[in-house]
Amino acid sequence: MTSEVTQILNAIEDGDRQAASQLLPLVYDELRRLATQKMTREPAGQTIQPTALVHEAFLRLVGGEDKPNWDGRGHFFAAAAESMRRILIEAARRRKTEKRGGDRQRIDLSSDDVVAHPEDSETLLALDDALKKLDNEDPELARLVELRYFTGLTIDQTAEILGVSPRTVKRNWAYARAWLRREMEGDVSV
Amino acid sequence: MPHLSERSIFFEAIDLNDPHERRAYLDQACGGDAELRASVDALLQAHEAPDHALDRPPVEVPKIDFPHHIGSKIGPYRLMEQIGEGGFGLVFVAQQEHPVRRKVALKIVKPGTGTKEVLARFEAERQAVAMMDHPNIAKVFDAGVTDDGRPYFVMELVRGVPISEFADAHQMPIRDRLELFKNVCTAVHHAHQKGVIHRDIKPSNVMVTLHDDRPVVKVIDFGVAKAIGQSLTDKTIYTRFFSMIGTPLYMSPEQAEMSGLDVDTRSDIYSLGVLLYQLLVGETPFDRERLDSAGLDEMRRIIREEDPPRPSQRLTTLNARMTTVSNARRLDVKRLTSTLRGDLDWIVMKALEKDRNRRYDSAAAMANDISRHLTEQPIQARPPTLSYQLLKFARRQRVAIATFSLVALAMMIGTGASIWQMRVAYHERDLKEVALREATQAKRDVERFAAVVTEANSLVASAQTHAGSGRWKAAMDDYDRAIELQRNYDLPWIGRAQFFTRLNMWEEAANDYAHALSLGAATDTPQWWGVVALFTLTDHMQAANELCLQLNRQIALHKPIEQWEFVRTCAACRDCMSDQSLRDLAAWTRTELAKPEPPPQWDDGPRPPDRRRHPGFLFEPEGRPLRPPPERMPSDFSRSDFTGPNDGDTDWVGPEPSGSNPRDPGAFDSDQPPPPRSNRTGPPRSPHELPRNVRQYIAGLVHLRIGEHERAIELLEQARDDRSWPASWIVDAPMAIALHATNRADDAADALARSRQSIGEVTAMLSDERNPATKPPWFDFVEFFAFYTEASELIEGTTPIDVPSLEEIRSPVLMQLR
Repeated sequence: MTSEVTQILNAIEDGDRQAASQLLPLVYDELRRLATQKMTREPAGQTIQPTALVHEAFLRLVGGEDKPNWDGRGHFFAAAAESMRRILIEAARRRKTEKRGGDRQRIDLSSDDVVAHPEDSETLLALDDALKKLDNEDPELARLVELRYFTGLTIDQTAEILGVSPRTVKRNWAYARAWLRREMEGDVSV
Repeated sequence: MPHLSERSIFFEAIDLNDPHERRAYLDQACGGDAELRASVDALLQAHEAPDHALDRPPVEVPKIDFPHHIGSKIGPYRLMEQIGEGGFGLVFVAQQEHPVRRKVALKIVKPGTGTKEVLARFEAERQAVAMMDHPNIAKVFDAGVTDDGRPYFVMELVRGVPISEFADAHQMPIRDRLELFKNVCTAVHHAHQKGVIHRDIKPSNVMVTLHDDRPVVKVIDFGVAKAIGQSLTDKTIYTRFFSMIGTPLYMSPEQAEMSGLDVDTRSDIYSLGVLLYQLLVGETPFDRERLDSAGLDEMRRIIREEDPPRPSQRLTTLNARMTTVSNARRLDVKRLTSTLRGDLDWIVMKALEKDRNRRYDSAAAMANDISRHLTEQPIQARPPTLSYQLLKFARRQRVAIATFSLVALAMMIGTGASIWQMRVAYHERDLKEVALREATQAKRDVERFAAVVTEANSLVASAQTHAGSGRWKAAMDDYDRAIELQRNYDLPWIGRAQFFTRLNMWEEAANDYAHALSLGAATDTPQWWGVVALFTLTDHMQAANELCLQLNRQIALHKPIEQWEFVRTCAACRDCMSDQSLRDLAAWTRTELAKPEPPPQWDDGPRPPDRRRHPGFLFEPEGRPLRPPPERMPSDFSRSDFTGPNDGDTDWVGPEPSGSNPRDPGAFDSDQPPPPRSNRTGPPRSPHELPRNVRQYIAGLVHLRIGEHERAIELLEQARDDRSWPASWIVDAPMAIALHATNRADDAADALARSRQSIGEVTAMLSDERNPATKPPWFDFVEFFAFYTEASELIEGTTPIDVPSLEEIRSPVLMQLR
């Protein structure tokens, strides 16, 4: 599997546009698998940080061997960020429907498969909506937020991946952050 | 492009920290564009507002159900069809290809317990499980781990219906149900003989299939529950507890404790009892909804302590469901009730005993008893005999002391405390599954200790019964034995002390009370009414001080003493209480006395003819004296539900104190709890439970103690001048003390003289056993002598010589004790 992802990353670097679309499902599946495995093996009550998970997935899928340059990593983390966003949003949606009372059996089975607090899922869903709007306005900014928020990359790492200066990342982050909040709060007041 | 400029304005603005500069810049940059300005302002506000969602990274990853598709493979098994889903996990029919080609049931355990532990425990049991070979037991073939790390078990495929559903669906009559259930017992017995305990017997694990139209029982999951459930030892896995094991309806008390220890074959017997209960009644002994909604502690308490109704009783509480249940058994309601009453009740209840030593010692024994019932032979489980009931009483008392004895008691006793701590220590180690054997031993020690306490309680109960019938010697022997059993246990001491007060053996009573006090007995119970006066009279000044100190502490902790009798107890000692506490008490008495009075209580209703002869101040409306309450577990009196006069519940006079009424044991057998009372948990009743002059007398005493002598004299005069209360003999001595303190020597001497004149009458009354029902409580006499002695010493400077000695007072009874 490791080689598969590395190959894809290399292909992307070589300009193979098709390869990028193959990366996402691979990373997505790996993250889900990792999350499940964690939850099964770790003692109950132990929380698993999404960002930690992403980095573990990176090590498993890419790391070790011939280190790809940061650009290669960039593709990986972009895919990981999008995957993690999907995973978390799916869970938040599921939680929300459960709260409204769905199929009882489902509740029994999945009531403890979500550890986060219920209010977090509300926030998460609101953030997701706002992020979609930002994506329409300025896809670059949305990608920045996705990377920072869902994979936990630092300003410097993000700068390296996006190929811009840390100062630009910092300022853009500040702007996107304020923008999203204004958007989310606007939603609330409506 | 307003958007872009908004962004650049934002960038500029956040670099300007000075608010004036920033405002100036914004004014300039936005010009007259109010919309742009508002939008930038909102951005800046959002930028500066704290607690941004983006600043908190998503903390937790949701657990994702790894899909187990139909058709996917787990080890050598291919999933074919999902047949079950529940708290446990998922159950599939799976096809095994080799070494044999067959269909199996594959149970994938829900994530929760560590995979390694589950498998290790299963491995440990595997050999035993493999040795089970019984037509009514579904075999467990294999166990493993799925790719996503979940343990799974492979079992003989049983396509059946849970036994309770099967029986109802086929409207099986009771006899057929019993026959079917016997098969369950034999299967479980077989497993027990191979050393396998099921631990999770419930209908969904006892399936019934039809073979040639004949129902065949299959017990499934043997060995599985242990592998999955054993580490359920802590509250932190509360949720898991429910999700893994399901509701605790079938769980034995020892399992509910979740100490993780010591679950043996008898736990299965208990679960079999619940199963049989359900087959007979259609319901589990404890209400499903109630247990489900109870918190963990409450749930455990219910299972450990509450006695479920007998099956025939439970039937009557089903209301609307009753007809359905009866129909499913092809009987009418009446017939069903009478079928269950008797043997079947006792068989079920024997299996459901809290104390597993009292359960059937094997599943086979239970099956045999059912056979005996079916063939009309006498069964092994018996309806309770008297001694059995006594034991039950003791157990009920053990419930009462569950908090009292095992915690407080153990704490106050050196050995107990160390056993307790040992147990705690072992319990912790046990969580790591270490030292299992030692922990078991420690638990046994605690149980042995509890058993001794139980026995002591039952002896006390027996003593009370003897005393109630005037068998002094027998009562005395039982009290002595109870004390010798566990000398550090305060209850028998208090019991014997009360017994002694009944016999006017004040010296002995005081000794026992003092001993109980030194053991740390709780003193906020009516058994301690008047004991300060007793200590004073018998020269146990240290104990008197200690007792007052405890009452003092109560006041200091802002727990007002809202019981006149306790106030009175406090006032009996001259300088035991702190001034502040006494002032508080005095203020309280004034407030209470200032409240509007209910109609005078002893002027309505019939009175006993000789009632006026006595200062029996504890009258309830009918004029029946309220005696000091029974000797019972102190914890029973934590609520103030023992006073009865003005709650309208006039039947209840309370049990005899140490059997003070030999001729009429009363409506109360001392081995029974008091009759249930509707207002047990009602609001605290008003303190107007004593006649006004008794309250004035008590208020007088308190004011005497704080040195407000004029006030004391006034109150005592009021108490005495109410002619409907002929209490002069108890009022005169404190009055003399108050008068003396205000330098009215002549009046003081007169009051003392009046008191002295009463001695003869009082002494005669003391040994008068003719009408014990109207005899004043013992502490009236004690208080009389105590205050008389105090007054004499104060006024005449000498110890009075005319007080009968304690020896004289008790000698008549001593004869009877021999």
